[in-house]
Amino acid sequence: MANETEDAPTNSASESHATSADVERNPTDEDKNEKLLNDAVQFLPTDAVKDLLSKEVCLRCIFRLFGMQVPICSSLSVKSLLCHVLGEQADLHQNISSVEPNICRSCLGILQFTYCGDKERVVENESACDFAVAIAELVKKEGHQIDSFSLEVSMPPTILENENKLSLYVKRKYRSEAWFKDRSISECSSTKDALKFALTNPLETLLDVKCGISTFHIRLTYSRVEASIRIQNFVEKIEGCKRRKVDAKNCLDTVKDKSAITGVENSVVSTTEVIPVDEKSSNGLQDNEPSETHEFPLKKVNEPCRLECLCFRTPIYFGGRYLKYSRNVSQTRWIIDEERMGEASIEEIIGGNILPMCRGDSYKFHAAGREDIDVRMLGSGRPFLFEIQNAREVPSELLVKEIESKINSLENKLVRVKNLKIVGSQGWTLMREGEAEKQKQYAALVWISRPLQDEDFQTISSLKETQILQKTPIRVLHRRSPLEREKIINWMKIEKIAGSSQYFLLHMCTQAGTYIKEFVHGDLGRTNPSIGSILGCRAEILQLDVTDVKMNCFLTE
Amino acid sequence: MNDHNVYQTNNSETEETPEQAQQEREKEMQDDEEELHKLLLPNVHDLPLTPPSAIDFNFVAYFAPDFLKPGHDQYVYRHANGLCVIGLAPTHVAFKDEGGITAVDFNVGKSDRSGFKVTGKRKKNAQHFESNTAVCKVCTNNDSYIVRCCVKGSLLEVNNRLIKQPGLLNSSADREGYIAIIMPKPADWLKIKSSLLGLEDYKRKREECFGSS
Repeated sequence: MANETEDAPTNSASESHATSADVERNPTDEDKNEKLLNDAVQFLPTDAVKDLLSKEVCLRCIFRLFGMQVPICSSLSVKSLLCHVLGEQADLHQNISSVEPNICRSCLGILQFTYCGDKERVVENESACDFAVAIAELVKKEGHQIDSFSLEVSMPPTILENENKLSLYVKRKYRSEAWFKDRSISECSSTKDALKFALTNPLETLLDVKCGISTFHIRLTYSRVEASIRIQNFVEKIEGCKRRKVDAKNCLDTVKDKSAITGVENSVVSTTEVIPVDEKSSNGLQDNEPSETHEFPLKKVNEPCRLECLCFRTPIYFGGRYLKYSRNVSQTRWIIDEERMGEASIEEIIGGNILPMCRGDSYKFHAAGREDIDVRMLGSGRPFLFEIQNAREVPSELLVKEIESKINSLENKLVRVKNLKIVGSQGWTLMREGEAEKQKQYAALVWISRPLQDEDFQTISSLKETQILQKTPIRVLHRRSPLEREKIINWMKIEKIAGSSQYFLLHMCTQAGTYIKEFVHGDLGRTNPSIGSILGCRAEILQLDVTDVKMNCFLTE
Repeated sequence: MNDHNVYQTNNSETEETPEQAQQEREKEMQDDEEELHKLLLPNVHDLPLTPPSAIDFNFVAYFAPDFLKPGHDQYVYRHANGLCVIGLAPTHVAFKDEGGITAVDFNVGKSDRSGFKVTGKRKKNAQHFESNTAVCKVCTNNDSYIVRCCVKGSLLEVNNRLIKQPGLLNSSADREGYIAIIMPKPADWLKIKSSLLGLEDYKRKREECFGSS
């Protein structure tokens, strides 16, 4: 795209920020744009322009109102052009400055690149480029590595109301004019679009990346300052006042403001109805037009909008599977009364290694189910998702592999990670898919109160798709609903342990959500049937390991 | 470790035939399974002859001998999460009657304790009982005895199975024959705790029943 241009002779170019000048270098484009601007300006209806300027509408709003591309170059060069067209003396800079309002009544200073920034300081930018420089610096300050950006702008609702009122005003006033019939006012662009258009190219140049759909967002939020809220409160008190009983200026201002606040679309009409006909010197402007003509519908603006500029990246997701080799590591950080339970947590071990590599603000850990702190997670591992907030950098595939190796070579070998990689939002759906049908495989170390017999093997193996009924286990009953849940035990198998007659390994596959420990020991008879009831004796569980989470996501490719 | 193997396999796959690659993968899977199996098998020598039961492991046992009446010995098993399982201690006078316990009736006091439904995480509709509130009545051939709450709190559950299978009290009063589950407030628990006995003290008090154990 063409770079920004600036008229070379204008002073502001050399005085403005170094980077802004870089942006604006390009002689051929400069000439081309100047010519375009010149041509466009020729077609502006002088009377209308003068009228709007006198109503405190800024130059760029005038341009956009007449369906012209908002000039991106500095205000000064625009003003001088305009004056040339309007036949004014171009060297009377004071005149030019006084012609354009301090703060536009329509765009509230937004298209004049003026706003109230940090510490309530009013910032006035000469051009879109200067403005873009300030934004680009914020991006660089945060240390973001980006390959694209998306630009979002949010404005107070007043702006839209002002746009509508202004269009209506122009339509009403000039609908009989020839030039009006030639061009359609509906071609006018919105303040938001105009601002985005103005900023996009400079930002693309400064940041050296394209604007479009991106995970990296630059968000400009404009909001009105407190003063207007005070007025609103006052207005609400004099609700329904149609005639002025108090001082002319106050009443009128507040009544006009009221209709602006209530946001009536056709407020031009209602405003004129509300304002008493015998009103004169209405809006405190310097204009002397007779009161039969329409009163200008927009209120004077004393303060620019407050601008909050945020740049951030939308969350990125890391998916994979984890294994837990320790019986003293919890899945998530677990603190009770300021004391940590277990010696570490999966989320901290893995998250603590991913977060710094992304230079993100924080992480959120999600896993497809969980296991108790004293239960190991073995076999193919459990699928998990890490959501990294506002990463400053998106790691490359190679770097992700390095992160995985690093976690797996930690000295204490508590946790292992498999198939770590960055996934899109489909990671979520993958994890949530088939959650209810998920089956899990376990190996439990079981003790029974009598020696194992030959029949027991068969008794257990023959049970397929057995339904059991589990009342909410006592160990979680304090925080879960007392319910009776039906669960399926898909299959079971006893593996003898050499050297012991009462201990054995029980392998089984069950429906997601089954409480295995309770299925073994019976939970005081509240899980039925249980291993104890099936084998006709007392059964206890000593150890439990998850050997497989049967899910189709984040598997080794 | 396995990760290392994966890398090597990926690199060499380009030089192998598909069959060889398949064989490699199968071997890898076998290795994985063997490794898993090694992890699963316990060291037999470390296994205790009789492991602690789930109750021993997860609950602390307290006893209330002669609760409101002589011979009415009850237990309170308190879980780490604060819930209390109450039941008849082995030295309860009801067990001395011939034939043991023959029937259990939860319809005592003002309502049938087996009828209510507690719902939700906040345990709505749970009845709040004092420690001396009657929970149920156990009957033997000779007599009937009232079983009390012992712990002030919300009644979460009664053991309905006892209605059809009162014999559970005779065979395993300390497990499947439990009477009810109570949820006391922490402050209420502290108050009652001081009047309960631990296992050792209880055994000593009822020495004659336990003999030389």
